[in-house]
Amino acid sequence: MQKILKIAQREYIETVKTKSFILGIVMVPFMIGGIIFFTSRMSLDKTGPRPTVNVAVTDLSNELAAEIKASFDKYNQENPKRQIRVQKLEAQEDSDTAKNQARNKLGQGQLDAYVVLDRDILEGSGKIHLYTYKPKASNLDIFWTIENIFRKAVVNQRYKMQNLSPELLAKLRHVPIERVEMGSADGQDRVQGETDRFIKMMVPFFFMYLIFMGIVGTGQHMISSVIEEKTSRVIEVLLSAVSPFQLMSGKILGLGGIGLTVVSLWAGAAYLTARWQGLNIDITAELALYFVIYYILGFLLFSSILAAIGSICNTIKETQSLMMPIMMVFIIPLLSWFKIVQSPDGTLARVFSFLPPLTPMVMILRLSAGSDIWIVEIIASIVLLALTVLAAMWAAAKVFRAGILMYGKRLGLREICRCLRQS
Amino acid sequence: MGAVLLNSVHKSFGDVLAVNNLSVKVPTGSIYGFLGPNGAGKTTTLRMIMNIIRPDSGSIEIFGDSSAEQAKARIGYMPEERGLYRKMTVAKVLTYFGAIKGLAGDELSRRVPRWLQRIDLTNWANKKVEELSRGMHQKLQFAVTAINDPELLILDEPFAGLDPINTDLLKAIMLEMRNEGKTVILSTHVMHEAEKLCDFILLINKGQSILDDKLARIQSQRTSHVVSVELEGDTGFIGRLPTVTAVESDGHHFEITLADSADTQQLLQSLVERVRVQRFEVKVPSLHEIFVDLVGASNAEDS
Repeated sequence: MQKILKIAQREYIETVKTKSFILGIVMVPFMIGGIIFFTSRMSLDKTGPRPTVNVAVTDLSNELAAEIKASFDKYNQENPKRQIRVQKLEAQEDSDTAKNQARNKLGQGQLDAYVVLDRDILEGSGKIHLYTYKPKASNLDIFWTIENIFRKAVVNQRYKMQNLSPELLAKLRHVPIERVEMGSADGQDRVQGETDRFIKMMVPFFFMYLIFMGIVGTGQHMISSVIEEKTSRVIEVLLSAVSPFQLMSGKILGLGGIGLTVVSLWAGAAYLTARWQGLNIDITAELALYFVIYYILGFLLFSSILAAIGSICNTIKETQSLMMPIMMVFIIPLLSWFKIVQSPDGTLARVFSFLPPLTPMVMILRLSAGSDIWIVEIIASIVLLALTVLAAMWAAAKVFRAGILMYGKRLGLREICRCLRQS
Repeated sequence: MGAVLLNSVHKSFGDVLAVNNLSVKVPTGSIYGFLGPNGAGKTTTLRMIMNIIRPDSGSIEIFGDSSAEQAKARIGYMPEERGLYRKMTVAKVLTYFGAIKGLAGDELSRRVPRWLQRIDLTNWANKKVEELSRGMHQKLQFAVTAINDPELLILDEPFAGLDPINTDLLKAIMLEMRNEGKTVILSTHVMHEAEKLCDFILLINKGQSILDDKLARIQSQRTSHVVSVELEGDTGFIGRLPTVTAVESDGHHFEITLADSADTQQLLQSLVERVRVQRFEVKVPSLHEIFVDLVGASNAEDS
């Protein structure tokens, strides 16, 4: 045990000193913050300059000209840098001449969109037809704007036909909502904004992501640590002092400590930021306890598999092909988290909870999503995971022992099976 | 009681039989040389002694224990593949390996500076291992091996790549340890080094022991029939002597090969009667010759 602790200690200290570790611990939160910051900025950017957009319209109802002009004038007035120029294109119903003319202009780039309003549009049965020519992804929001303006013009015209005042209707439809959250830590009721709700939804994801980064991110250090010892040929010197099992356990322990450090730093930083921003996030002691249990078990499972992989490979490059399928499994919760948060007690969530590699992430997702999971289910998932961890460590120790001194050819599946059979 | 005892040990890798029915007893307080050509099974045998790999069958005892696992703190093993943590400092590497060999902190803080002084790396204590020259690296590697003051030292090809100064340093330490009653096992194919150092020789070829004895006895049992002489005078008669089968001459220097039954003293007598004898030497077979002879014969048997 003394030896295992010494190995763990070295592993911890030497990993903390590496550049990739320091970079990772600082960069990841910055990257996440950066992505959130920029995406929110981008989606808000609706006032920036944009080249004038040309739209042609054929109004078969012949009653909307004034309303269309008024709507677009209003828009152009509000968005001086994002003008939309509308021109009329007279046409008879069912005539292809106008459409062909528009098609040519669209193709040449003189027009960006061509709109046809059906004759019976005001009665409620006709459609607004929007024609575009090879639309680019960057133009899609313009089309959305144009559609909205036309829709508003049609609706306003309909109101007028019914002798209703658009202003009055807008007033009647306006009902403000105030969301007040009670039961926060300081006993004050708090008014929530839209972002608060969004962040509330993100909290389970954040917890799961912490587990993911803690397990997978730290696992990378395991691979590089084992490969480094193999390539520097220090491994045999080590094995003259300790057994392969002690070496592997020490590594797992040391890197597990690294993972806990990283995860608590990130979690602490996130919590402080949330408090600073005045967000009310409840983290119960129970959830924190489960988090630590699931993290440790998940890390043990993942890192013992990686230790075995590292031992049978000679270079980082070789490990990558073996890492792929394992990473795929660990990414499943990242892809399905939304469904699990929405129905934390659904079939999908429950099944995933009992697939050991997924258990830590899925269970933390469910627990932090505020689901009341039957305690027996929690304990059963922990027991199953723990048993899997024991089996994985047993197998990994055997593979590690055989692989660690192998240079040159990578161990095939058959050799691995053989060393698992040998006791 | 022997320090190391191997009892009909077998080990194969796939179809290759690396060690075949090997039994050796290494007595305490001796230097035991494991000799053999490349691929003879020397490294495999040493690794099995260290319990780094396990034998397929047979038993290995170290200090009377059935496995090296308990005794690792009492052993210093230097593998053929040398390596240290390149990013750690010299003192830290030495401290770390001492610690995982079970040395306590206060003991280490005494031993590390002492060893650094002994291998002349005191000024490099806080430099990273990757900054060391090759020779310094090798000295540090040996210090790592011996930091726990082992009762049994196992060295796999210790002289490979060493410069003469480090070779002498290493040999001095080995002899010193032997004189303290400790045991050294070394594998090598540098015969003249083994000849000067070893008390016992185990010659392995293709995983099998073909010779295992005290070095002195090996040499005395193989009396040579070659005599090296320096003569002055008319030497034409030598080739005509009845016991002589071949003569090679180089000026005054002659290499005379005698028939198997011939007595070297008789030759000396006949020479003294006819010419002036400046030098007369019955050649002791070198380990190199014995090695080539035995390995060659054993390989010829197989083919």
